[in-house]
Amino acid sequence: MTAAALVHVVVSGLATGSIYALMAISLVIIYNATRTLNFAQGEILMVSTFVGWTAMQVLRAPLVVTLIVAVAAAAGLGWALERLVIRHAISATHFDVLIITLGLSLMLRSAAGLVWTHDEFPFPSFFASRPLAIGPVRLAPVSLGIIGASLALMLALYALFRWTRMGRAMRAVAQNQRAARLMGISVERVYSGSWVLAAVVGAVAGVLIAPVVFLSSKMGLVAINGFTAAVLGGFGSMPGAVVGGMLLGVLENLAPLYLPSSIKHSVPFLVMITILLVRPSGLLGRVARRKV
Amino acid sequence: MRRAALATGAVLVLALPWAVPRYFVFLASLIVVNSIVAIGLNLLSGYTNQLSFGHAGFLAIGAYAGALLTIHAPALPAPAALLAAGLVTAAVGLALGIPCLRLEGLYLAMATLAFGFVVVEAILNLDWITRGNDGLRVPAAHVGPIALASDTARYYLTVAVAALLILAALNIARTRTGRALLAVRESEIAAQASGVHLAAYKTLAFVLSAFYTGVAGGLFALVVGFLSPDSFDVFLSVDFVAMIIVGGLGSVPGSVLGAAVITTLNDSLAGFQNYRPLIFGAILIVSMLFMPGGIASALRKLSVVGTAGRPRPGPPTAII
Repeated sequence: MTAAALVHVVVSGLATGSIYALMAISLVIIYNATRTLNFAQGEILMVSTFVGWTAMQVLRAPLVVTLIVAVAAAAGLGWALERLVIRHAISATHFDVLIITLGLSLMLRSAAGLVWTHDEFPFPSFFASRPLAIGPVRLAPVSLGIIGASLALMLALYALFRWTRMGRAMRAVAQNQRAARLMGISVERVYSGSWVLAAVVGAVAGVLIAPVVFLSSKMGLVAINGFTAAVLGGFGSMPGAVVGGMLLGVLENLAPLYLPSSIKHSVPFLVMITILLVRPSGLLGRVARRKV
Repeated sequence: MRRAALATGAVLVLALPWAVPRYFVFLASLIVVNSIVAIGLNLLSGYTNQLSFGHAGFLAIGAYAGALLTIHAPALPAPAALLAAGLVTAAVGLALGIPCLRLEGLYLAMATLAFGFVVVEAILNLDWITRGNDGLRVPAAHVGPIALASDTARYYLTVAVAALLILAALNIARTRTGRALLAVRESEIAAQASGVHLAAYKTLAFVLSAFYTGVAGGLFALVVGFLSPDSFDVFLSVDFVAMIIVGGLGSVPGSVLGAAVITTLNDSLAGFQNYRPLIFGAILIVSMLFMPGGIASALRKLSVVGTAGRPRPGPPTAII
């Protein structure tokens, strides 16, 4: 294996990893606000990408419009799901909410299949398909584009959490819900905001990944790798989600080179089981202390 | 009153094969098998408040263990093969349960989810023994001189095994072990303070749950007669979770009811595959939002209303 080929594999791993990282971030956003795992995250991604694609087919609009429509659809869907379903279970245990989001995920996937069928559709990409040659290294522009766009989105999220009122409120709720409420923060609004923000991040990830994996009702399964990425980095930690995602993407692409090629699809699960057994708090996570 | 109801129920269950067409006997056997899995899952979730999304994996291990024993050791009577299937699965449950002690709620759910995927991959890759995607045909087993060649015979075997396991589950609360498990359910910390060895009992719940599911797996192999890895996918695990959610967390009668509802629904929706997840999702959400205790607690409330608002102080042992 030459060094150039290795660079190629690592870069495409980083591209897949960026998508995992975005999925992990959107899961962590909701987890930090509501302490629950959103099983429907992947399906929100899938449905909003489909809506954007439909707009493109009907309006013959450019890809930018597709992205905007997908983001708007995701925001609407995230808001509606939180407001109409999750809010009613606000006093329920985390497990009840987990089951509810599992039900939402089943319903959304099935509904998408009824509307758009379960077939796979090609999806246009923002990036050229001709490989870029830098010296002996050949890189796919899609990979570089995905990495660049994801990094830009992550920086935007960082700015949002660091410097905006909403971002500060979200961080406060993540730290201590009751204290945040006492400081006059509307926890309900943070719940809504978290669902909308997570859905929007998912929609961007969906538009970025759809040209690579095709648009289909199954594409929401990428969220499972997002879970693994978030666990790998330490569930609840944003930098952890990014590191975990990138690491998982690279591992997944490198493993078939050294191990039997059928291992690729098991990599996320093996990584998940290993990390949970060896270090359940993840690479960058803090060990939770429990009080009686 | 209660005795009469139980006796009527028992007569109905035993008379069923003579009253309905053959296909429904098969369906009833499947319901009984799924009830055992639901009870097993409830032993874990009801006692340690932890949900598993990997019970299809346990079922697969039990099913393949039972099937391979039936194929390679034809002299072995079916109950022995079932016991072996349960023990093998319990051993795997022990191996998974010990490391999973470190995990709580969310993490356990994901680790068991991953376990389910790994089991399916393992079945695919061990194709020299499991025949991989081609599937495994299970020959008819026998109990003593009786060959289990008909749906009716297999139905009676599943009912007999289920009756034993249901009795054990109902009475477990009367034993020292059961009381310790109940204490763990109410409060882990309080239980620990009272001298309950938390790690040992949580592992035990895992092992018991795996044993039940493994026996059910062995029965599944006999009833269905054909095994392939894709019948044990993650959606089956979701079905099992749906059974205990719909039926009632921590309730043995609830587990049976939930298994009956979900299995029947699955069967009647077989022609509408596209709508099945839609309906299942809706059922999960509605039962979580409006019927948190499942059918079992809804029935309990009804019976309380039925006895002229005289609320019975149900002993905690009535649940599981």
